[in-house]
Amino acid sequence: MMKSPVYGLLLLLALILPPAANLLESIMITHMHMQMPLLVISGLFMAKFFQNRFPGFFSKWNENGVPGLLLFSIIMVYWSLPRTMDEALTLTSVEVFKFISLPFLAGVPLRDSWPKLSSFWKHALIIFFTILFLALGWLYIWSPVQLCNNYLVIEQITLGWGFISTAFAMVVYLIYSYFMDFSKYE
Amino acid sequence: METVIKQSGKTQVFKDKANKVMGISLEDAKLTKSYLSVAFLAILLGGILGLLQGLNRAGMLELPAWLNYYQVLTAHGLLLVVVLSAFFTIGYFYAGLSHTLGGLLPKVRKMAWIGFWMKVFGFVLAVIPILMNEASVMYTFYPPMAASPVFYIGLVFIVLGVWMCAFGSFINVASWRKKNPGQHIPILSFFATGVFVLLFFGSIPVAIEVFTIIPWAFGWVETINVMVARTLFWAFGHTLVNIWYLTAVSAWYVIVPKVIGGRRWNDLLTRIVVIALVIMNITGGFHHQIIDPGISEPVKYMHVFMSLAIGFPSLMTAYAMFAVFERTARKKGGRGLVGWYKKLPWGDVRFLAPFIAMAAFIPAGAGGIVQSTNQLNQVVHNTMWIVGHFHLTLGMSVVMTFFGLSYWLIPYVSKRVLTPQINKLGVIQTIIWTLGMIIMSGAMHWVGLLGSPRRTSYSTYFDNATALSWDPYLFFLAIGGTLLMIGVLMQVYAVFYLMFFAPKGNTEFPIAEVEEDEAPTPRWTERWGLWVVCMIVLVGMAYVIPLVDFIVNAPPGSPPYKTW
Repeated sequence: MMKSPVYGLLLLLALILPPAANLLESIMITHMHMQMPLLVISGLFMAKFFQNRFPGFFSKWNENGVPGLLLFSIIMVYWSLPRTMDEALTLTSVEVFKFISLPFLAGVPLRDSWPKLSSFWKHALIIFFTILFLALGWLYIWSPVQLCNNYLVIEQITLGWGFISTAFAMVVYLIYSYFMDFSKYE
Repeated sequence: METVIKQSGKTQVFKDKANKVMGISLEDAKLTKSYLSVAFLAILLGGILGLLQGLNRAGMLELPAWLNYYQVLTAHGLLLVVVLSAFFTIGYFYAGLSHTLGGLLPKVRKMAWIGFWMKVFGFVLAVIPILMNEASVMYTFYPPMAASPVFYIGLVFIVLGVWMCAFGSFINVASWRKKNPGQHIPILSFFATGVFVLLFFGSIPVAIEVFTIIPWAFGWVETINVMVARTLFWAFGHTLVNIWYLTAVSAWYVIVPKVIGGRRWNDLLTRIVVIALVIMNITGGFHHQIIDPGISEPVKYMHVFMSLAIGFPSLMTAYAMFAVFERTARKKGGRGLVGWYKKLPWGDVRFLAPFIAMAAFIPAGAGGIVQSTNQLNQVVHNTMWIVGHFHLTLGMSVVMTFFGLSYWLIPYVSKRVLTPQINKLGVIQTIIWTLGMIIMSGAMHWVGLLGSPRRTSYSTYFDNATALSWDPYLFFLAIGGTLLMIGVLMQVYAVFYLMFFAPKGNTEFPIAEVEEDEAPTPRWTERWGLWVVCMIVLVGMAYVIPLVDFIVNAPPGSPPYKTW
């Protein structure tokens, strides 16, 4: 019954395939808002394997879920920088790091942390990313210069609006969970 | 493990009983009767205009000088696509909300009435310029063709009226949930919630479009971005199509199994179909724009996937429906691989009409998939094929379901009963309508493949041989249209007879139960806020790339055109 890690690995391998990687990386917004989240999702799927294999490690180092959350956030913030995207396209070592860090250092810890976190931390994470996405959206849309060597300004603006619309969806979610008391319906 | 909750509690049982004994409250009944009356008056007027149009398009009837083809086309489209569908959907679901949630809240009823009059007012405003030939822009009212500003102001009121009804339903459902903790929203109200979520979110883009058109139509701004307006229109236009469809689907899942004396399909899967249709629908608008210039090929390619994804829940529905039919017929002693079909109540219009509607969705859905495919779309896009397609989907799958519903819904709200004579009339009406639509829509599909254009009045193009070769098919269009007109008259007669003259009595609101041994439905299906967030994310995925492109790389805008 360990199917999900296999699916996760297959997803990761599919994303590594040069035609798939090239296609997704050819457009700025699909690079950041499709390839990168898919890499994290592959990690979410594979997490069970590591949790079963190294239960001691996770209980010792990620007891209350906060360290995993922190690691996830650091990796995600790192990959939100225009410069890192550029480097991933120019330096093979950084590209390799992308395919390792997003699944294993972001996806796996997130899966391990999420059930351990209190609703305060869960909401804090969403609020943090909402603010980050609004800021990045602002940066990418209104930056007077081209931020990436590899992508045109129009792609940069598109990515900026992608950030804003994702932030909007997260705001809707936050409002929804703020006003809805699920215990009333259960 | 997902926590699960019981299907029904004491409160629900009590309300069900109260509803069964007393029927719908008079005030709620009046609301639904008013909505349905407008819907069927719209079909009467729209049908007459449709016949005029069909005869004119076949070259068999000259319209008087004061009435042109495009005027008739606009009014026909608006009456049937906006008025009929919106009023029927709202009337039907408000009766459903009233029945399954133990009556409408007074506040909600008031909202629905305000919505009713806003829509009627908006519609009157929109019709005046159409009658004056100032708004012959057709149902697809996007630029560069510009109507009189009054037309668009009328549309704003229609949208606001729809929003009133959407929020009314949300308030009623939320209040019910608070009073019935731990219970699932009754299935018909679940469908209603899905439909109203789509109505609200689907009409946001068209509201934005209309607000950018109004200053342009007044001449306050000189030009408009055509691609943005078209995209906003189709985000709404496609969603509207699926709102009627989801309304029909609700009847297929919930009502029809009860009519045939069976039980409904798996509750969880039914709810997943609703959720999937709600999440994925709005982005389908792009497949109406496959041949639009200005959208890059990769984006169109992505949208082929997004559109075909919508087909998946429909395939689930097709499977579910036939499974329910077979299961019910076998319980009644049906035998053989397909011999069980004999056990279905073919003489009951409440089953026959929705059944033919479902069967029609097989070619209609297949045609939809054809049109979502880039290359095939190039062949048929601006031809009569498309007109044939939406007469099959709206005119058969949806409208015949609505007709089938009317034979119990109207007696239910007017506290009367369906008589055997009217049932017989309904069966004959169903047969006439089916023949009419097959002939008309079939001819439209075929002549479309031969190149006959849509949105174009009759012309032989200076007696060009190809254009003349379309004529025989266009005759079929006229024959089908005439049969449909007979169908309209019979249907409208049945509706008003059942509303005002049929014998008094109690008619049941038929809602099928789930199978007894079914596993309880998991609680996550109730998290509507999450589905809305998923929908927003998907809409973002679909629209951010092209819209930024249209706006940042905008070509010079278009001034308003009056082509008629």
